[in-house]
Amino acid sequence: MARFRDKKRKVFVKPIVQKKLGAVDHVTGDKIPKSFVFSRGKLPGPLRQLQMDLRKLMLPFTALNLKEKKRNSLKDFLNVAGPMGVTHFLMLSKTDASPYMKVARTPQGPTLTFKINKYSLASDVAQSQLRPRCPKDLFKNPPLIVLSGFGTGEQHLKLTTIMFQNIFPAIDVNTVKLSSCQRIVLLNYNKDTKLIDFRHYSIRLQPVGVSRRIRKFVQNHQIPDLRNLQDVSDFVTRAGYGSESEVDEEAATVTLVSNLGRTNKASSKSAVRLQEIGPRMTLQLVRVEEGLCTGGVIFSEYGYGAEKKLDKREDSQIEDSDHEEDEDDSDNADEMEEDTENGNDD
Amino acid sequence: MTEETSITGSGGILRKRKIGKKKSNNAKKKMKVFQGTGEKVKVDRKMKKLFRKRVKEYNSDDDDDDDDNAADKSFLNKNQGAYSEKNGYGTRKLGADKLDEESELSEGEDDDENIEVLPTVTKFAEGCRAFRIAFKSIIKKSALDDVLGPILSGQKKLVAQKLAEEESEKKLRGEAKKEKLLIGEKGHIKPSNYLDSHEKFLIGVATKGVVKLFNAVSKAQSTQKGLNPASSKDEKVIKKRRKEAFFTALGKRSASSSDTSAKVVASGEPPSWAPLRDNYMLTSCKLKDWDKMQETPEDEDVGKSSHGSSSDDD
Repeated sequence: MARFRDKKRKVFVKPIVQKKLGAVDHVTGDKIPKSFVFSRGKLPGPLRQLQMDLRKLMLPFTALNLKEKKRNSLKDFLNVAGPMGVTHFLMLSKTDASPYMKVARTPQGPTLTFKINKYSLASDVAQSQLRPRCPKDLFKNPPLIVLSGFGTGEQHLKLTTIMFQNIFPAIDVNTVKLSSCQRIVLLNYNKDTKLIDFRHYSIRLQPVGVSRRIRKFVQNHQIPDLRNLQDVSDFVTRAGYGSESEVDEEAATVTLVSNLGRTNKASSKSAVRLQEIGPRMTLQLVRVEEGLCTGGVIFSEYGYGAEKKLDKREDSQIEDSDHEEDEDDSDNADEMEEDTENGNDD
Repeated sequence: MTEETSITGSGGILRKRKIGKKKSNNAKKKMKVFQGTGEKVKVDRKMKKLFRKRVKEYNSDDDDDDDDNAADKSFLNKNQGAYSEKNGYGTRKLGADKLDEESELSEGEDDDENIEVLPTVTKFAEGCRAFRIAFKSIIKKSALDDVLGPILSGQKKLVAQKLAEEESEKKLRGEAKKEKLLIGEKGHIKPSNYLDSHEKFLIGVATKGVVKLFNAVSKAQSTQKGLNPASSKDEKVIKKRRKEAFFTALGKRSASSSDTSAKVVASGEPPSWAPLRDNYMLTSCKLKDWDKMQETPEDEDVGKSSHGSSSDDD
């Protein structure tokens, strides 16, 4: 029995080996942020899926198979987070009104609470597409992050920007390899609705001005079907169907420095194509707290310290009712005076 | 001729016994006569009719009938063979004879008891008919057309009530489950197959960001072509080239101030010159004092938003 237990323990300890993956980027020397995605309270099926999707999104510097139990408190996660070098928590929870997502920086906070107004799972997104794309090494590199529309100068938005910028490892323009940029996370803030659109895309580069057939031929190295052609030259010269997004080709082209894959050669123009991977969320920033799920409320969507205000109002009402009787007489006198004044004016 | 075989009540039996005694003697005599002669007896039609009529009228309950019966017997004795047609009757009589013989042993006591115990008399034929009708009606009833199935009528109401209760409970439970599921699915939306304008706009924004980053990368990395930034050998050369590129960029910058890399530099803290710091060109926004550096980024944000949709790439 004892031996069995030892073996089991060894298996359990194994994840710590991941530490070798590096808390520090060995090219730039930056600290790499890591994250935990977990739930507070019991989640229904689709939300559990969303949690899994979020973990995949946060790869590779996250615990994909993080096991949580009912009795795990936030303190437990915090205790593990220290030695593991985890810097961010993403917590999913749910009330009868709607699901919520909290994004927190670990030891001290702050905590951003988002209300998830709408969401679609990665599987839903894949189902809606004709050809969902998932290359093998898609999740081996961290995603880029694009924040758009956050520059309104409001404090909580700035904090949101910084929080999300720091959730993924920084990119050094001088050393980054373009082949490692495979995914992108977009957060788009809409000023009018105050909603944040959260999207996750895969990046694909395609050479410009090459027909689809030739591109596929170069990519796959498979013998093409030439049955219907008169001559081999037809294969090259005959144009296929027009590309689906020929219109904004100009804006989406990039000149590469180095070769990227088989098809994208250096110093040739390539078009950037994005395809959604999912999950997809529409978030609403509800509250910002100073600490890790505790502390003073810096920002609240429903007014700063709405509860406190309510209390004050009640107090003032009580006071008013006390004073009213006393003041009634004087008020009447004032009115009388005003009346007389009016009469004088006329 | 079912009426022939009619169960007789106790009183009848009692009286019959005495008669039977006589009869049995008669029968014995008759039998002897019968066997002895061995000839076929001819029965007139008229006689037959009469016999039948009498049999129909025969009722064991009445005392008078007994007399008739006795007369019959005597008559029968005269016309032997008349009974050959009505065998059942004959055999019954024979059985009765046997009974009589047994009852002879304890005659006096039995008589009194029998009278008290069996007061009512029902004809076997009538009982049979009633039983048949009842049985048929039960068989005819198919359990299918009744929802509850074969149930004693007394409990029918109770069972129905119980079933109704169960059904309502089931309904309630189903509704609760559905509600729970609905709450669980709240906010979950299946995306449509086509890209609507909003999605296209978002993809456009993301593409812009990616293009910006890639262009910046290509600009930065064009200086270090053919060198490996990870190896220590190339480090010096790369540093030199970067410096040169930076100074040339500085010279240009006075002419055109909008530059992606410059933006990254400018977002650092103002007091010391950014390129001199160690974390130059890295993420310059520190979470620690995010609320202290208000002025410089704000200006920048305004500039960005004037560009169009502002996008920050990391």
